[in-house]
Amino acid sequence: MVETLTVTQLNTRVKSILTESDLVKDIWIIGEISNLTRAVSGHYYFTLKDGSGELRSVMFKGSRGRIDFEPTENMKVKIFGKVDLYVPRGTYQFIVETMERSGIGELYLEYEKLKKKLQSEGLFDDSRKKKLPLYPRTVGVVTSETGAVIHDILTTSEKLFPADIILAPSKVQGEGAAESIVRGIELLNKIGVDVMIVGRGGGSIEDLWSFNEEIVARAIAASEVPIISAVGHESDVTIADMVADARAPTPTGAAKMALPDREYLGDLVRGYEYTASVALQRKLDIMKSKIDTVSVKLDPRRKLEEIGMLELRIDGLSNRAGAGLKSTVQNMRSRFNAVESKISPAAAANRVGGLKESLTSFSERLVLAVGRIMKDSHSRAEALGKRADALNPLGVLKRGYSYVTDADGNTLTSVKTLSKGSVIDVRFRDGSAEAEVKKVNNNG
Amino acid sequence: MDEEIKNMNFEQSITALEELVNKLESGSLDLDQSLELYERATALRDRCRKILEESERRVKKITETAQGVVESELKFE
Repeated sequence: MVETLTVTQLNTRVKSILTESDLVKDIWIIGEISNLTRAVSGHYYFTLKDGSGELRSVMFKGSRGRIDFEPTENMKVKIFGKVDLYVPRGTYQFIVETMERSGIGELYLEYEKLKKKLQSEGLFDDSRKKKLPLYPRTVGVVTSETGAVIHDILTTSEKLFPADIILAPSKVQGEGAAESIVRGIELLNKIGVDVMIVGRGGGSIEDLWSFNEEIVARAIAASEVPIISAVGHESDVTIADMVADARAPTPTGAAKMALPDREYLGDLVRGYEYTASVALQRKLDIMKSKIDTVSVKLDPRRKLEEIGMLELRIDGLSNRAGAGLKSTVQNMRSRFNAVESKISPAAAANRVGGLKESLTSFSERLVLAVGRIMKDSHSRAEALGKRADALNPLGVLKRGYSYVTDADGNTLTSVKTLSKGSVIDVRFRDGSAEAEVKKVNNNG
Repeated sequence: MDEEIKNMNFEQSITALEELVNKLESGSLDLDQSLELYERATALRDRCRKILEESERRVKKITETAQGVVESELKFE
């Protein structure tokens, strides 16, 4: 008797055949993930493909915890689980219990091989790395036009030293990405930028793979323009990172590496300005104290006013110098020159010489005057002598000098008043001697 | 500001500023020279500030086509 079944009955029967067979349970399947969707429920649905076949697969939310990576499109994986049938649709699918990445081993070997080769060629040597310019005017960027990298660079660089940003849009993953990156590097070299950032955001090792390809490494090494790499996360070190002149952990970091901070530069300029003001102020202070010293020595009463004026001028200049007032500076300079020429060392020496002379003649006059007074009042002379100890004529006499008077007791100051036979008194400390002039020798 | 300074880029002007400040600090100059250097330092400072504060950066993209290198505007938010 031929059996008649409903659709559901058949589907259910097939389901039980499939699920009871040891041939299609607890097995590993190798393939590449495509048409990946992650449902709101947390389940992952995808099609596992190889060159010629497809397998509908599902990984329920509960199994997600067993794997330590996020499944992505095109990822090569090995999935473990069993075949099941979805009765309402009559389609069969593979229930994924766990998953491993595959193909990584091969990629890793390839990476190690290229790394060794380029290393032996010296491509990673610090000695061949180019220095980044201090203040670039143009920054070239090789990355995807739609990715986070260019966005982050543009946002970050707004607060940095003002430079033009020129993007050479490139494919950064999948087929043809390496070639596209190479073209971008070459193009930016051709138009001539000051520094270049080459990179992409984070992803799987397959996503980043173009940055591990030899042609990209060689294009970076051949670039005339210094290159900063910013590929994936900090933990992913690609060959491109090793060849690049500098490596940034993130696109934001790359922008900061390429361009100095604008605020810092503002501070730097202010710092120089401050140092210059302090140096000038110090110079003015030194000049001021020199003027004070010299001028006070010269003529206290007359010069003080002038010095006061000069000080005011200098203070005014110091305060206003910061504003860069050219006219004030020039006015000050000419005024200073005028004063300075009056008190230049030569002029000062003349003036001091003059003062010395008058002081000498003054003390001579004082000696003689005291001599005259002595004649009238010995005690008064003593009192005066105490006041001007250094000039005390008695003191002078004690040191072995004597003075001469005429017969009337007038002090003689010039030989001109004498002639042969003149009678003079030679006065000593303890007495006097009357003498007669034998001969007059006139020095004048 | 003299013509020479006006045409300086940031690197040139900040390097010149640094040199002037070092000279001023050395203290071996007379007042006249010091004032002259100070005046020039002020002009260089103004140039540096102008570049930092007034420069408008351009953002663009370039692509290579059969017609050669093409520049176009790069839009971003």
